[in-house]
Amino acid sequence: MALGRRRKSIKKFMPPKLMLTSMMDMFTIILIFLLFSFSENPETLKLDKDLELPRSSTETGYDKAVKIVLSKNELRLDDEKIYEVHNRKIAELSIADLQSSTLFQRLKSRRNEHKAAPDDEAPQQGPHILFLCDQSYAFKTINSVIKTAGMAGYPNFQFAVLQEK
Amino acid sequence: MAWFGRRRRAQEEDPDIDILPVMNMFMVLIPFLLMSASFFHIQAINTSVPVHADTPAKVQAQKEKPKITVVFEIKQDELRLSALTDTPNDLALSDMEAVIPMSAGSEIFVAELVEHLKKLKARYPTSDTMILIPDDEVSYREIIRAMDCARADESEKLFPNVVLSGSLG
Repeated sequence: MALGRRRKSIKKFMPPKLMLTSMMDMFTIILIFLLFSFSENPETLKLDKDLELPRSSTETGYDKAVKIVLSKNELRLDDEKIYEVHNRKIAELSIADLQSSTLFQRLKSRRNEHKAAPDDEAPQQGPHILFLCDQSYAFKTINSVIKTAGMAGYPNFQFAVLQEK
Repeated sequence: MAWFGRRRRAQEEDPDIDILPVMNMFMVLIPFLLMSASFFHIQAINTSVPVHADTPAKVQAQKEKPKITVVFEIKQDELRLSALTDTPNDLALSDMEAVIPMSAGSEIFVAELVEHLKKLKARYPTSDTMILIPDDEVSYREIIRAMDCARADESEKLFPNVVLSGSLG
């Protein structure tokens, strides 16, 4: 008899019910947010922490191009670090002798490679440079970089900017 | 009474909606959208630098409408606007020179500048090129602002082709 009472007191196992409503709400909000920030451009640019782009009202997209990044601490050609920058100045890039600079040599070899094997995906205006530059730089420094690129065969630029809100 | 109670209990029971397929769909969609999301919108401004041309520039003898090239100098204390043309002895160009004073360190007076550019565009509607010559110490941010002014007003395009050049002096 005692055994029967004990058996009666053991409750049948019921699987716990999960409250999924709040999770669904969260997912819906995340989904809507992500849908709004969906980018059509599959090639997304990575911005360095020490790079603050200026804002502009332009609505033109950027194209696939050779990329020069002038951040607060360094100058990079695509992923290759070319110069270190101190006090917003590139000591190795002298305006008097740009043709002997490393940047010129690198760009020149890129240009020659491109001439030998033209890229079908390049836009119609020809080879150009996507220039990402920190907004605090003075024109003197920028001029030495764009002049070097112009001399190496890249006179056309796309200045990367953040879209004004 | 017992029958009445049973009926009320049956009414109070929530119907279980199977939300597992919806959850599964969310779990697929969210990683996909996270991968293709961009949290900042990068755009581009097309510009160029003057280069030495190997071939002589083409000069059109008979043009239907005269064209000008606007020269915009950003100096430390003023903005200077002037114009160049292929047409010799164009006296009208001297009227188009303008100087907008600017106190040191202040930002460009956008409205005044756009007003001058609109006047130039009204007189030479086919013109679309501007040479921008900033001083050595002008910041990149100011250059972009000047390009914004030159490129377009909300209603019309002013001088969208901007050539960036160092000062010659």
